[in-house]
Amino acid sequence: MNKYIAYWGERALLVLISVVVLFPIGWMFLTAFKKPRDAYSLSLNFEPTVQNFVTVFSDPWNLGSMVLNSVIVAGATVAIAVPCASLAAYSFSRFRVRGRKFLFFLILSTQFIPAVVILLPFFLMFRSLGLLDTRVALIIVNLAIVTPFVIWMIKGFIDAIPTDSEEAAMIDGASRLRVIKDIVLPMAAPGILTSSIFCFILTWNEFMFALILSRRDAVTLPVGLVSFRTERGDLWELMSAAGVMITVPIFIMALLIQKHFTRGMTAGAVK
Amino acid sequence: MNERTLSYALLVPAFVIVIATTIYPLAYSFVTSFREWDLTKQLRPSGFVGLQNYAHAATESGFQNSLWVTAIFVVTSVILTVVLAMSLALLLRRTGRLHTFTRIILILPFAMSPALIGVSYRFMFNPEFGVLAKGLGAVFPALEGTPWLANPDLAMAILVITDVWHWAPYMTFMCLGGLASVPRETEEAARIDGASNLRIVFGIILPQMKGVLLVTAVLKTIFALKMFDQVVTLTGGGPGTSTETMAFFIFNVGFEWFDMGYASALAWILTIITMVISAWYVRMLLSERKMATA
Repeated sequence: MNKYIAYWGERALLVLISVVVLFPIGWMFLTAFKKPRDAYSLSLNFEPTVQNFVTVFSDPWNLGSMVLNSVIVAGATVAIAVPCASLAAYSFSRFRVRGRKFLFFLILSTQFIPAVVILLPFFLMFRSLGLLDTRVALIIVNLAIVTPFVIWMIKGFIDAIPTDSEEAAMIDGASRLRVIKDIVLPMAAPGILTSSIFCFILTWNEFMFALILSRRDAVTLPVGLVSFRTERGDLWELMSAAGVMITVPIFIMALLIQKHFTRGMTAGAVK
Repeated sequence: MNERTLSYALLVPAFVIVIATTIYPLAYSFVTSFREWDLTKQLRPSGFVGLQNYAHAATESGFQNSLWVTAIFVVTSVILTVVLAMSLALLLRRTGRLHTFTRIILILPFAMSPALIGVSYRFMFNPEFGVLAKGLGAVFPALEGTPWLANPDLAMAILVITDVWHWAPYMTFMCLGGLASVPRETEEAARIDGASNLRIVFGIILPQMKGVLLVTAVLKTIFALKMFDQVVTLTGGGPGTSTETMAFFIFNVGFEWFDMGYASALAWILTIITMVISAWYVRMLLSERKMATA
């Protein structure tokens, strides 16, 4: 009897957890396909429509340009941060550089800094350089957020690769750069991919910098959400449609790396 | 190129990025924090005013309020997240289809944009047509018509809930990672000896999880101290100033009042608080590790 209760109790708990996780997401997806009239009712019996998606992609919302901004900013940040971070991570992992511990700690400690403390100077610098409301500005600030984090993650993955084959290849006369390119990179590829997706998610969802550094031309998706707050009140059905556009690509990526998700991070953190 | 040169050369690109995008702005805001610079009156900063901006922070009520709000937020969200994450991890480490399914979907809250989480909870707690506000009202008639986000305590509670919803799943993965390295033998031996589940969890598993739980707590504290996104999209700092976290308040000083000197000083105070708390945790972690290896 007790075992019976424990068995079904555990399953009921799991279902409850799943509901708590999925409900807010599911409700947003439902609302995105409701007509404005239905969005303000709790009815599940509604005629689905894609009108909200058509509306958010046309004037005056132009979600398309925000999607483009988000893709470019997140893509460029990953493209710059990940290669630089991989090289640094390799050096930290394999060489006994003088002051290595101090340098690595310096990099890590920048992660503890609240973003708002660098937001102020960036705003002032970009204002005097005329870079406010540009994607370049957003890419630069996002590099500040992700680079230390990616170095830490990739170092965790490289640490886990045994050094034997590298040493063997070098004894056979291969140069260090060649070893990195032909041996380490292929073995670290899954870890680097995971880190890249992680970095993409962080940049894609970044809100504070984009809120202040973009106005019209460089607005990214999370900031775009705020524009659905109008004098007529919040336009929930349009916000939900925009929300679906923000989440779908990220959910797909997150599910792809689900298995490796915390390995890099926990390995680095617990060591 | 010899090995030594190469080892440094590999570090150069990453360090150029970190110095240009973090160290330099940090120095810039540190210097600005000792200046008077009202952006509405002057394009360039005027002279240095010593510690005046910091002294102002000690007496200004808006900032004091944000310190208090942040303290409440950090303590509640860290405790709830760590306890929930550890419990979920204990539940999810078993095998089973439903367990696997739950583990997979747990990735979703973490991947969701915090700004969007704020927006969607605001929608769900709208007293007129929010699904949670209406649903709770239907189940508990006393709650019908509660102006959830217009009540300071409830607004704070919902802010904490959105944050726990966002982070607990991620921290669950960290705890699961930690649990995987806890050897099963002691646990099984205790089970054979007839120890209860509770005793196994508190007597055997949790003591070995101390390190992981501390790391989770540090990370969560650092993230909670920066709380900003949901404040903007969920409560707007309100009602009144009841959910104005430090990051939100500093943001307003900088970009609503345009008082760059004062905002920089406040940002540095927040940074120092974060550093002190992190250092304290790291010390605990190190002494913990010494005990474990001794």
